[in-house]
Amino acid sequence: MSVASDSPVHSSSSDDLAAFLETELDSNSDSSSESFPIEDAAEDDAEVSNHRLKRRKLEHLETVDEDEIEEVASVKFSQEISEASSSKLPCQHPGTFGNMCIVCGQRVEEEETGISFTYIHKGIKFHEDEVTRMRDIDMKMLQSQRKLCLVLDLDHTLLNSTVLRDLRPEEEYLKSLTHSLEDVSGGDLFMLEFMHMMTKLRPFVHSFLKEASKMFVLYIYTMGDRPYARQMAKLLDPKGEYFGERIISRDDGTVRHQKSLDVVLGQEKAVLILDDTENAWPSHKDNLIVIERYHFFASSCKQFDHRFQSLSQLKSDESEPDGALATVLKVLKQTHSLFFEDGGEDLSGRDVRSLLKQVRKEILKGCKVVFSRVFPTKSQAEDHPLWRVAEGLGATCATEVDESVTHVVAMDVGTEKVRWAIREKKFVVHRGWIDAANYLWKKQPEENFGLEQLKKQGAEEKSDDVHEDVLQKSRDACYKARDAFYTCLEKESGKKPTEIASVGLLYPKECSLSRTEFVKSCRSSWVKHFDREYCRNKRVQRLLDDGDERKGPMSLPQPYTFKPSPST
Amino acid sequence: MFFHMVLERNMQLHPRFFGRSLRENLVSKLMKDVEGTISGRHGFVLAVTGIESIGKGLIRDGTPFVTFPVKYRCVVFRPFEGEVLEAVVTTVMQHGFFAEAGPLQLFVSNHEMQDGMEYQAGDIPNYTSSDASVRIQKDCEVLLKITTVSVVATEIFCLGSIKGKYLGLLNDRA
Repeated sequence: MSVASDSPVHSSSSDDLAAFLETELDSNSDSSSESFPIEDAAEDDAEVSNHRLKRRKLEHLETVDEDEIEEVASVKFSQEISEASSSKLPCQHPGTFGNMCIVCGQRVEEEETGISFTYIHKGIKFHEDEVTRMRDIDMKMLQSQRKLCLVLDLDHTLLNSTVLRDLRPEEEYLKSLTHSLEDVSGGDLFMLEFMHMMTKLRPFVHSFLKEASKMFVLYIYTMGDRPYARQMAKLLDPKGEYFGERIISRDDGTVRHQKSLDVVLGQEKAVLILDDTENAWPSHKDNLIVIERYHFFASSCKQFDHRFQSLSQLKSDESEPDGALATVLKVLKQTHSLFFEDGGEDLSGRDVRSLLKQVRKEILKGCKVVFSRVFPTKSQAEDHPLWRVAEGLGATCATEVDESVTHVVAMDVGTEKVRWAIREKKFVVHRGWIDAANYLWKKQPEENFGLEQLKKQGAEEKSDDVHEDVLQKSRDACYKARDAFYTCLEKESGKKPTEIASVGLLYPKECSLSRTEFVKSCRSSWVKHFDREYCRNKRVQRLLDDGDERKGPMSLPQPYTFKPSPST
Repeated sequence: MFFHMVLERNMQLHPRFFGRSLRENLVSKLMKDVEGTISGRHGFVLAVTGIESIGKGLIRDGTPFVTFPVKYRCVVFRPFEGEVLEAVVTTVMQHGFFAEAGPLQLFVSNHEMQDGMEYQAGDIPNYTSSDASVRIQKDCEVLLKITTVSVVATEIFCLGSIKGKYLGLLNDRA
């Protein structure tokens, strides 16, 4: 419990302020330790340069604040300020709080480019140069701790959330399995009533975070809003030891619907990103490790238009030791060790992006791949994403077969290249083999990706592809039912319409039988179309019939009557 | 500084609220609208304490809404330059620390601290004095002096200083 002491005017002890500055600028720590005892363990250049900057700015500040803060500087100090005015620098306005410069308090106009760091605090903005300086300091500190930066996405990467409303009936059993919110450690499934959500953490995520935090400084970057991001961080990291304040939500990003490393305080060459969506990071694809999406809840599958069943419906889950997170952790360990290998002091040349590429190129090293009927013939094969992915994985790609080819990737059995491959005893796989290698970071056994499996899948697909109801037979049946319905309508035109058909068409109860027949034999979009046509025709006819006599507002179309209705 | 003053506001009321409880509806709408907001001139409106008067209602042309001029007493909080107040530290950065005094957000730059204060990075970033007697970290109470006040689009931000006699750390996470 202490009260702040008088501002110790250290420099007043030295007579010549300029001389003091000289000594400080020349030597590293010894001279400065007299007046600025540094308690940091890490005595690196950044701290001293920080000091120097601070000292210079301090002097300028004193003169500016003279009017505002009377108690601050003693008379002696102000004399020295005027003496040392030559060493004064104009304020660089490194950052603004509100619209005031944080150093000198002046109003700074908005045209200065600054990046808002709302996840640190509301209203704070830093100039680009300042951000670069902060990144450099951060880099040095990280290097001394042998750590890099890792930016983690939340949804479908570390966890899967669903709104309670979207829970399917077969998922209701999950409600009884939720873990309590009081003590979140060890739990995986949480019910968040106050947000109307249920969240499932991905298997292995706790060990993943523990291991990763030893090698990386962790950030969360999500497209959810701030309260969601903070709540998820509480589930993943109840003690706040992994993420701290480094939680970036979509409210903190600079560009909407896009993620970028501009608000991350780490140099781009030392940051890795783990996300399930490649397109969220348009300018940092090289830093990105794409992970397989985690679909636990059915609503998540539906969101991405997948027809397969979600893990909750299958009552199973990703394998813990073998799952996506475990694989990614291995890759991260590999890249990290490559970055810090040899223990060399000069790590400024290393770039984590090229190291990641290096690790990736090991996967399919030695494979020469030819593609058959995978790319449309008109386009340039080299530009196709699959070609690019294969090359990124270390395989060499070619357009024509020759002796050195090891794999033929095809979607169809009957092509020449495939026949050649079977003759020459080369591997024939479908494109899933390359995709699997990309996601699992390991060359997969070719037997699991043979074309026979593709054929099996294809056969199932084919029956889906051909829709029965557009064939001639069913079309005729549909037309018959339709005509029957409409003739019924004409017949019963005298009766009052009570039933609702669709798109504003009403019909009397007598016709309900033919209506059901009509709806059964035709597609719903066709039914709508025919109804619409019918209404249109009726309106036209009515207008033609009694166009002259109609006065005043027209009543709603009553398509079943031919009799000119009395004007209302 | 806190003030207890009379402010006036034109309240628009929909006819569905007319009737016996017109006055209550008007007052509750006023409180909902005004409490917790920031007025550029008066600062943070903290609480409505009473109603001075409610004038005659005028029907707005073209709409069924009626406008009542309401005079009400309320407690406002407005920071002034040179004012000394207590604040709780929320975030510590290498440039300085953020503190809040109720609804008011303040920033104290490291240039506005005593010369001996050093930034210590780490798990709990803090500012420590040269003789380690004073340590300012998250949730500490500090006494600071406001140096600049700026009102930016219904937000009030202040810069503060702990460079002065009796300013600085008050309490250590009490």
